[in-house]
Amino acid sequence: MKLVWDWRFARVYDESDNVVDECVWGGNRTPGALANRLALLMQGRMTIEAQTLAERFPDATPTPSMNIKSWPEAETAESILLQEASIKLAERGVSESASNPDSRLEHLVQATEEMRNAHNTLESRIVEWAGMFLPNLDIDQHRNQIAAAISTSSNLHEIGDSLSTIPAEVQIGSKEWSALHSLATSTMKLATDVERMEDSVREITETHLPSLSLLLGPLLAAKLCATARGRERLARLPASTIQVLGAEKSFFMHIRQGTPSPKHGHIFQHSWICRSPKWTRGAIARMLAAKAAIAVRADHFGGEPWTSKQVAEVEKKVGEIRARKNKR
Amino acid sequence: MKSFSEMVEIQGRSLWSRNAVKGVSLRGERLKREGRKEWRQWNPRASKLGAALLKASQIGLLPEQGSNCLYLGSGHGTTISHLHDHVCGANNHLDGTIVAVDISSRCMRDLIRLSKSRPGIIPVLADCRKPQQIAPFVSHRVPWLFQDVSQTGQVEMFIEACKQYLAEGGTGLLSLKSASERDTQGAFDHAEATLLEAGYTLIEKIDLTGWEEQHVLFHVVN
Repeated sequence: MKLVWDWRFARVYDESDNVVDECVWGGNRTPGALANRLALLMQGRMTIEAQTLAERFPDATPTPSMNIKSWPEAETAESILLQEASIKLAERGVSESASNPDSRLEHLVQATEEMRNAHNTLESRIVEWAGMFLPNLDIDQHRNQIAAAISTSSNLHEIGDSLSTIPAEVQIGSKEWSALHSLATSTMKLATDVERMEDSVREITETHLPSLSLLLGPLLAAKLCATARGRERLARLPASTIQVLGAEKSFFMHIRQGTPSPKHGHIFQHSWICRSPKWTRGAIARMLAAKAAIAVRADHFGGEPWTSKQVAEVEKKVGEIRARKNKR
Repeated sequence: MKSFSEMVEIQGRSLWSRNAVKGVSLRGERLKREGRKEWRQWNPRASKLGAALLKASQIGLLPEQGSNCLYLGSGHGTTISHLHDHVCGANNHLDGTIVAVDISSRCMRDLIRLSKSRPGIIPVLADCRKPQQIAPFVSHRVPWLFQDVSQTGQVEMFIEACKQYLAEGGTGLLSLKSASERDTQGAFDHAEATLLEAGYTLIEKIDLTGWEEQHVLFHVVN
């Protein structure tokens, strides 16, 4: 005996494909109701009709309708209903992806990165450009102040005053001045925009990945999550992969050409690693990645969120590694 | 001039389909009027099926008009729209269906818009690797199945899908991108061997070079 069903009805067939029993969907056939039904079927569940027949014929084996030659064709009205319902269901799926913090976080992390790059490029341009007009200024010392000084000045002398230096004796046209001034203003604005982006990343990450952000800081946690393409995938990654996330280029160079393996990817940004002596970094990265893997699993699978106690324990281990490696 | 059906033909050197929604060009394709008919240009650079139609030497690439089709990896729906011109026609007067599956919600929103103006297209947001997600929309085996998912293990996925959904004597089309596979060099040979081993008859191996680099479309019959 075979139990066969689709969204319209369920049937029980005997061995020679004769219909033994049938149960038809008697509910109100609206696109919304059918969408609910299809969602159920997509999860591999049975319709109510199929369940009823399964109770009546417990020994019937579930069989896909594709394998029954005499399975009735859909009527035109049914095809139209199916199309309307599938549109509804697909629309639901699309709007669900907007409520998924992972995809939003990915955009935020990427946008922050792009804006930071844009800011760095613009800032170094304006420093070099304006530096020509300020020959006596130590440019590297005043890097961060130049754009600010220009954006609050209305001519070269005012810039010189606010940076306490003497500008070069050059005449610049009003158009060039306003171009310089607006570039400076944009650069300043970009800097505050980057900060706003990062605030938003912090806000999402601290609820989405509370333990991981406590351990690594929210920005690094967000970066790892975006690189792994989602919290679930990050939670399922082995610690050794988390350790080198973001170092794909050198990792694959290592695999293909046998160059030295990368010891750390994004995780390098953590001060426990980048502020440690070079020969201790690999070991610290390995330990920290292992702890990060545990933290993200606690976040994703609903474990106990980490507190500063666990983070302090990890910090203690960092100290131990540094001490151990320094003895040698 | 070469005609595939009353809805699809090659005029000069370009491919055209009868526009089922008159006056609407989806991505800026050229439209041209010919009496009461309106033709819409089928860009072979944007559609691998279109490129295959221009390069194929064997017939039977397109499904019968008014049949049920399964399209895995529908993308933004460029090919789907031309397929719809052919299989369904204006207001689906040919009574066909195209089940269009894609995993990306970004692509799905374009596909939903398309389905709303073109009755007969069934958009499904699902993972092609999970048959249970597609089965609710396909009650019967289909005579025509197309797969273009650009993922590792495409051939195995294609064979799995054909086993489940393709009717006996049905046409299966696999658009394979060699760069998607681990072994770029041997990808096409491996695909051919695997398809033959699985018992399918290979009608033609269409090299899409010229329109789409490193792509081959396998045309098999179950």
